Amino acid sequence: MFAVETLNLAKRYGKTDALRGLNFTVNEGEIMVILGPNGSGKTTLLMILCTILKPTSGTAKVVGIDVVEEGTKVREVMGIAFQEARGFWRHKPSSILRFHASMFDIDPAKRQDLIERTMKDLELWESRDKMFMHLSGGQAKRLETAKVLIQQPKLAIFDEPTSQVDLRGKRKIWDKIRELRDQGSTIIVATNEVREAEYLADRVTILHEGNRVVCDTIPKLKDAIAGGDIVEVDFEDPVPEKLVQDLNGLGGEVSLLPESNQLRAKVSKAEDWVPRMTSASYVAGAKIASIRITEPSLDDVFLHFTGKALADQP
Amino acid sequence: MSQFSRLVRIARTDFSYFFRTKWLMAVLISLSLSDMLVVGLVYTRLIPASTAIGSSYFQFLVPGIVVVGLFSAATDTGRRIWLALREGVIQYYLTLPIRTRGLVGAYIISGGLGGIVYSGALLIIAYLSLILFKAPIPIQGILYALILIPFLFVLSTGIAGLAAFFASVSRRGEMYWVYAQALQVSMVTISTVFYPAQTIAQYLPAPIATIAEYNPLSLAAGVLRNSAFGGNALETSALASLLATSLPLATIGALAYWIILRTIRLKGKP
Repeated sequence: MFAVETLNLAKRYGKTDALRGLNFTVNEGEIMVILGPNGSGKTTLLMILCTILKPTSGTAKVVGIDVVEEGTKVREVMGIAFQEARGFWRHKPSSILRFHASMFDIDPAKRQDLIERTMKDLELWESRDKMFMHLSGGQAKRLETAKVLIQQPKLAIFDEPTSQVDLRGKRKIWDKIRELRDQGSTIIVATNEVREAEYLADRVTILHEGNRVVCDTIPKLKDAIAGGDIVEVDFEDPVPEKLVQDLNGLGGEVSLLPESNQLRAKVSKAEDWVPRMTSASYVAGAKIASIRITEPSLDDVFLHFTGKALADQP
Repeated sequence: MSQFSRLVRIARTDFSYFFRTKWLMAVLISLSLSDMLVVGLVYTRLIPASTAIGSSYFQFLVPGIVVVGLFSAATDTGRRIWLALREGVIQYYLTLPIRTRGLVGAYIISGGLGGIVYSGALLIIAYLSLILFKAPIPIQGILYALILIPFLFVLSTGIAGLAAFFASVSRRGEMYWVYAQALQVSMVTISTVFYPAQTIAQYLPAPIATIAEYNPLSLAAGVLRNSAFGGNALETSALASLLATSLPLATIGALAYWIILRTIRLKGKP
């Protein structure tokens, strides 16, 4: 049984299709990262899974329970950290967490200790006496994460969990999310941050304009790009056109960056291509200043599968 | 945990929210106390007891103040619903393991509690004022006031329901305040909360006098005057009328709020 399964899931707002017949599965105990720009349908999918929204058509199941037919049962086994933190403005963080814990039957004997520990882990303890409305954006976001962590649901959903959070805080939240997975929860993280996806994902689903474009592990997605490695070569002088043609003959895809002495090559195996490239450069009399070898980022993967750069999306 | 326990927890949290809004509390309490302890006591010395008001002016006015206090506290439910809808807290509520009707019930009950606790406090202050100024208090009146609590609670849920209705149909915050003010002006003005029924019948058209007579606020103020302060036995017909006029309001409000939650589930926004 899948932890999450959707079949031809569609959601329409007026004339806009947010989801267009999405088929999507998440295995039990994995971290599934949904990667997509704003407007790709990520949040709509999550809102349907946590029963806030009803789909226009199709089905969605969480641990085998239909989200439309048995919404209350679904809500008993899932927890969500919203993209925009939601809390009672005039309550303190600990009071918000106590209310949340009580709604999900967290053992009263362990409740206080769990709340205190989680608040300390997420560096919220210092802000325990502030009202929610006085928390900073990052603190409110961490409180949102804390709700799900104390709940330890079967399915935990995090919608852009580290937006507005500083770098140190991001790492903390990511580690806690992985810890939650190790404790047995299935996790869905929606993000448009490549670094977050790379750090967390067991598998990645790329959503684009309400459709699933591709879903796999990160290494497999990167391997799927023609020319898995990227080699950037800086020359001391302008690169002769003849050299570019020769290098293109070595396999891969070589391009000369405009108004610079730099070549960028997407090649299958950098370790085979680089020695041949240096020989060709020596023959052409082009002096190499530096060579950098990188693997493609998820941004490149997104670009490859959708034809658009993740960062350029609205 | 049962659905009912969750409903109670949500109602309790929302109820506590009312008392956490300190500026609102300060405004409400200062208005109620100045009405009761300044206007009430001063006017009592100016206006002689008459058959029109049945007793001293203080004993005529205070039930009205208590009922208006109940009204103000119960209508705050609408403000809280409006905030919850606009700030997205309602979406958090929708992820909790409680049915939509439970959520609706929780808000209506919390509105009822807010009204009854606030007006109950005013009632206690009124009794203490009477003791302080050595005015007679019928002991049975206190007993009748206790018996009246569930009936006032139903009235309070009815008003909370109306406020929920207006909060649900308000697109903008200022519109909610306009609706709330219009509701207050119409319900308090066309009532016998602050004027005797005879005065209204004398100066206003008959249909308005009839509306004022069956206004649940008038009925509540009348029962309080007659029994809680007058010491007369509670009239079953008055209590039945109070219930009969309050329950439909609570039902309309609950239905409107339920429709809004359903709309959120379909459209993603109210």
